[in-house]
Amino acid sequence: MTKIDQLRAPLLVTWQLTRNCDLACVHCCTDSAPGKRLPGELDAGEAMQLAHEIIANQVPYVMLCGGEPLVVPHFLDVAEALGAAGVQLKIETNGQQFDARIAERLSRLPVRSVQISLDADSDDVYRRQRPGGSLAKAHAACEAVRAVNLPLEITFAPTRLNIDEIEAVIDRARTFGAFRFNTGKLMRIGTAARLWNKLEPSDEQYRHMLDVLRRQATAIEHSMELCYLPFSIEDGLQRSFQEPPATMLVLPDGRVKVTAALPYVCADLRRQTLAQAWEAYRGAWRDSEVLADVHHAIADASLHSRANNWKVLALANV
Amino acid sequence: MDDSKGTNEAIVQGQQANNEKVARNQKPVWETPKLEDVSEQVMAQPYIRFT
Repeated sequence: MTKIDQLRAPLLVTWQLTRNCDLACVHCCTDSAPGKRLPGELDAGEAMQLAHEIIANQVPYVMLCGGEPLVVPHFLDVAEALGAAGVQLKIETNGQQFDARIAERLSRLPVRSVQISLDADSDDVYRRQRPGGSLAKAHAACEAVRAVNLPLEITFAPTRLNIDEIEAVIDRARTFGAFRFNTGKLMRIGTAARLWNKLEPSDEQYRHMLDVLRRQATAIEHSMELCYLPFSIEDGLQRSFQEPPATMLVLPDGRVKVTAALPYVCADLRRQTLAQAWEAYRGAWRDSEVLADVHHAIADASLHSRANNWKVLALANV
Repeated sequence: MDDSKGTNEAIVQGQQANNEKVARNQKPVWETPKLEDVSEQVMAQPYIRFT
């Protein structure tokens, strides 16, 4: 029996509060950009209702992401409701709107990580990868996180544009006092899939990136964790295939995806309880269509490009 | 050649057999999710790690 068949609720809810974003990043896996709020996103009342359901189901850990979660007016209300109930939080942000006021509010909550995207160490490369963005603001956000002793995590999405700056960003992350630096192979989903021919790093660039990561992992040892395995989403899917993760990915409109790299939607939290959605998720990982498609997606990464063309799964066995 | 193919097919068959077994058998005893079970492996999924 797998872990998901033993648990009454997920260990982690990954909640995309919105598809809207204040940046239009070329590598975005959620097709986010300014003005790209998803039709039918949960409103403040519905989001608070879901937060209370997460609490009632004793989910221990919630990741708030997007899009950019900080553009959502009820972001702090949701975070504070969850945090006040003891739910541990991870916040993923591009840092453009993360200031001392938000840091201070979050510092009162059980926040295990504020993850900020630093995809470059020079302003021109940052602006090419994150049109509309300011590297200085992202750096200021890192400082605001550390100023109130919140745990800082840095993420770096490699493309042909920025991959040569990875070592400089690792050094920068250490300077900021980050406890972890995350990276891996660029995911072929969303905007990145559409721009794949312009973004995909070469094999040689990936070899160099891995050399840097291995060398840095030895050099910095305990001062900051370097997290880059599983390196590709195919490797991640292979793990999921063997042991489906006890995590639930909630889209901005309340629908639940089976896994990020595949298009399947297995539940709708507007119409179903979280317990029913969790049952549907467990059922999805026993569904022959899903399992066959996971198998195909492990073998062929180009299939991941369909991931945001959501397809509602008809679960015969739920 | 995909070396994982045989293993994956075996897993599919195993999971489907498990599905039938769960359906036939009595209700499972549910565990309440605990923070300590949120392993590094859970958080290292590429989507969670670096969206």
